Amino acid sequence: MVFIAILIGCILGAILGLNAPMISYTYSSYLAIAIIAALDSVFGGIASVIKKNFDLKIFISGFFGNAILAILLTILGQKLNVDIYLAAIVVFVWRMFMNLGTIRRYYVEKWSDMIKEKASKKDKDKKQEKQEEKTEEK
Amino acid sequence: MKKGKIAMTITIGIACFALVTVMMMQFKVVNETDITAIEDMQESELKTELANWKTRYEEIDAQYQEVTQRIEEYKNDEESSNEASQLVQEELEQTNTLLGLTDVHGEGIIITLKSGEDISPITADDLLIIVNALKFAGAEAISINDERIVNTTDIVYITSGSFIKINGQRILEPYVIKVIGNQSHMESAVTGTGARAEELKTLGHTVTIEKDNDITIGKYNGEIKTRYIQ
Repeated sequence: MVFIAILIGCILGAILGLNAPMISYTYSSYLAIAIIAALDSVFGGIASVIKKNFDLKIFISGFFGNAILAILLTILGQKLNVDIYLAAIVVFVWRMFMNLGTIRRYYVEKWSDMIKEKASKKDKDKKQEKQEEKTEEK
Repeated sequence: MKKGKIAMTITIGIACFALVTVMMMQFKVVNETDITAIEDMQESELKTELANWKTRYEEIDAQYQEVTQRIEEYKNDEESSNEASQLVQEELEQTNTLLGLTDVHGEGIIITLKSGEDISPITADDLLIIVNALKFAGAEAISINDERIVNTTDIVYITSGSFIKINGQRILEPYVIKVIGNQSHMESAVTGTGARAEELKTLGHTVTIEKDNDITIGKYNGEIKTRYIQ
């Protein structure tokens, strides 16, 4: 269900984004850092969905708040002549990996559980078949 | 529970939508900048160039200001030298006037002398004495028969030809002495008792004196040469 929503969102966003007007190169560095922040928020959201502690308010405030904060930090960095945006990128990417790790672990566990279940089912089937054969032989 | 799940799904969908939209815009921008990377480089170069030119412009502007100021100074100098040259010009004119190198006019008297018959004619000495008396009375310009009396003027009697030479020019009777100066002073210098003109009159020569408020005396026609003055 969530993944369908993500997919639809991505497709619509791509269509709109490709048709959107060009933005000035000057603002592209701010936009880039905002994208990283938003990406982090989305991964965090997905991770929280998986963990089943998803909160709409936290997600929305994080999505916009992180992006705006990142932009403001970048502007401040430019004014101070310090590359603060590097710190923001490090934090966001690090968190992204953490969230991705959570998601990955969840699905890997789910998958391995599925395999185990299938294997145990097969074993049961085989045992049943063998038992049936035995009974037939008898 | 289900309502919350739908809201969550929609929210994440919208978030993804917004994220991908912005990402695509950014991709486009980055693509464009890749294409125009050279131009961007040029832009930064141009910025540096522009800054350089600005500095140079400022320098040149400063120089321009300096030069303008200098020109102003020169102009002032020129004006003052103009004034100086004007003064020199005035002085020159005055000197020329005094030297008798210019035509002058002003109030004065005209003395006409004509030798009487059967008596010895008027001599160069008579003229010399009259001129001297006029000078003593403050004459500013004198001419005899339109020969200007200047400081190199000679008034001599040529015995062989029995005539008078003034400025090396032969002059004949009647002798017309034009003089610019205070009219009464001039008159008294020649008509007072003991004055040569009066004596000539008593000797039987014709002496007429007329006053004129605007006598024109021509300039000295010769050249004033100095060969020994160093």
